[in-house]
Amino acid sequence: MSTPILIDLAVGDARAGAEPDRFDPVSPAAAVTVTEAAREAGVAALRLLDTAGGRRAIDPSVAGAYLAGRFGDIGYLVEVPTTHNAPYNVARRVLSFDRATAGRVGVVLRPGAGDEVSAATVPDPVAAAPVERWSEYAQILTRLWESFPRDALIGDQERALVVDDALIRAIDHEGRFYRVAGPLDGPSSLQGRPVVVAADLDVLGWAAVARSADAVVVDRGQSAGADLALTAGLEQAGRKREDVALIGRVGVTLSAGASARTLADELAAWIDRDKLDAVELVPTGGVDGVLAAVRTLVPLLSASTGPTLRASLGLRDTVEALS
Amino acid sequence: MSGRLHINVNILNAGVFGGSWRFPATDGLASYTIDHYTSIAKKAEAAKLDAVFLADGPSLDPSITHRTGNNLEPTTVLARVAAQTERIGLIATLSSSYNDPVELARRLGDLDHLSGGRFGWNVVTTAGPIAARNFGRTGEPDHGLRYRRASEFVEQVVAAWAARTEFPSPQGRPVVVQAGGSSDGKQLASRVGEVVFSAEQDIRKAKAFRTELRDGARRFGRNPNEIVILPGLSTVLGSTEAEAIERRELLDDLLPDAYARGRLAGQLGFSLDGLADDEPIPAELLAEPDEAGGSQTFYRVVKDIIDRENPTLRQLLKKLSGGGGHRIVVGTPEQVADDIERWFHYGAADGFNVIPDVLPSGFDDFADHLIPELQRRGLFRTEYDGTTLRDHLGLDVPDLPAGVWDRGPLQAAP
Repeated sequence: MSTPILIDLAVGDARAGAEPDRFDPVSPAAAVTVTEAAREAGVAALRLLDTAGGRRAIDPSVAGAYLAGRFGDIGYLVEVPTTHNAPYNVARRVLSFDRATAGRVGVVLRPGAGDEVSAATVPDPVAAAPVERWSEYAQILTRLWESFPRDALIGDQERALVVDDALIRAIDHEGRFYRVAGPLDGPSSLQGRPVVVAADLDVLGWAAVARSADAVVVDRGQSAGADLALTAGLEQAGRKREDVALIGRVGVTLSAGASARTLADELAAWIDRDKLDAVELVPTGGVDGVLAAVRTLVPLLSASTGPTLRASLGLRDTVEALS
Repeated sequence: MSGRLHINVNILNAGVFGGSWRFPATDGLASYTIDHYTSIAKKAEAAKLDAVFLADGPSLDPSITHRTGNNLEPTTVLARVAAQTERIGLIATLSSSYNDPVELARRLGDLDHLSGGRFGWNVVTTAGPIAARNFGRTGEPDHGLRYRRASEFVEQVVAAWAARTEFPSPQGRPVVVQAGGSSDGKQLASRVGEVVFSAEQDIRKAKAFRTELRDGARRFGRNPNEIVILPGLSTVLGSTEAEAIERRELLDDLLPDAYARGRLAGQLGFSLDGLADDEPIPAELLAEPDEAGGSQTFYRVVKDIIDRENPTLRQLLKKLSGGGGHRIVVGTPEQVADDIERWFHYGAADGFNVIPDVLPSGFDDFADHLIPELQRRGLFRTEYDGTTLRDHLGLDVPDLPAGVWDRGPLQAAP
């Protein structure tokens, strides 16, 4: 049975060198090599990290858009925190990137604090409730991503109509943390909408994840029982299990000693046992480590891909807003 | 200063005119695809332009019913362009009103680093209540307040860039571009603008504007040669003058009337309903530019045309062709080159921010026929000498603007 494979990548400052058993950033030039190799090996998507080892990486939306300018045919997940980011800007930026890749983008929305622009207009600017903020934020993103449907863009030169006005609608969101009128200025994604990934289960909890995410990342220690918890949470939220991808995340170290074959078998057993829908590899050892993972491990994993990121993750194309 | 022109191309969706998207043999929705921007950028690089420029705003303009508009976030577009080009500069419009200064400084600095030092930031304060409502406001902040915030915001961002140790800029730091023609805007430009876009119809006024900014820069302790002033210029080219004129007339015919009226009403700040087409706009409706809300720059341009030419409403609509008030030059490549040369040698401009009549065909004509003419006259480079945007513009890295911003928290206009 085939499984989509994701690879973590931090595009950043690699001058300090890499350690074989540590996840390290790779330089922009190395990231280009990695992306090309990943695409060739059938990796479903790269997850572009905001930080690595406590140090900032290149802004993931910039790094992703740059890499996608060289390599289409692979998915990109960009980490974006709620902190310092007004939701309208993120909705627009992520959807623009997604449209440029014909539907291969998702956002790993990290819970956090607010932003300076939004804080000026809400009743409770210092409220620290990251889970509630995250949920509201995810809702705004998905509502904005459906506010300008693809078929609203008609381009009728004869009648001088660019759009069918009636199909484009403001969202008029008024929440505890944000007020956003919308709509966006460009049409929805080819894949329905970009994928929303929850990667902070510890902070968010299953209820928030089940309400608002298209995919959830669990590490090795959390994965047993995750499928059950996710299923229960989705039932509570009135959603179906097949509408959310359960991604198991694990560090991999490919050195002289560790055989790719052994690792591949272990991963396959893990996927099977914990009913994972996808696997996210965190290769240690800088560019050499990640290339080794891509070139020797991934080809042994029956990696699957699809024409869009949703399809790659086994998710149906959908535009309907979450929660 | 090199004695040579600086030229950008403004990839303004389908072109400068309201009817551009309807021009024959034009894919009306091309500007809703990413390839539109990357292919024009590659063409611009082959023609050795200083930069490509993206106008932008975080909102959907209601005029989209009849005219294409911005629809892709600029840093994601330019990151892709950076991957597919090598030398050409990349200038993006991003709002000082609706971005977080910490996040923006980081993202733009990272894009500049990744592109090899080719990035410039066009600072705008974003007019209008529609954008305001996407960020929780009920109406747009007062003009003066927008500019006070912009001034502090720019200084904070530039200071953050100067302090970067990770991902440093190959050009020292990104170039600051500014485009407001209001009194507040000129003040900001004099203080921090390295490239200034302007909207000038008249050669004498353009020279006066350039002189005013250079004097302003001097007053702020800056070298006046470190401001590059680029008026907007729309070109309508033909292999004969008659052909060019015919092209212009066709673009006028294609202008959706509802769009043109809506746009002019927006610029003037009042509805045109009930006004006679064959008469000038009543003078009592026209406020002084410094009191206008919205975009004072374009209001000023329109008011200048009205004061100078006293057009009927119909004539005014035609003159603007929904193009917002940038100068439109119609003719053969030689004729347009003559015009460009005249402005350059008169001291009215250091170059131009070109907004082609139709994209991509109007820019193809510009790159294929007008640029070689300028090169032939020794007015424009035939090769890139350097690799960064600063290199192309002939700009050194200026001193940091004086620390207004560290007086206190940034004022987020409510």
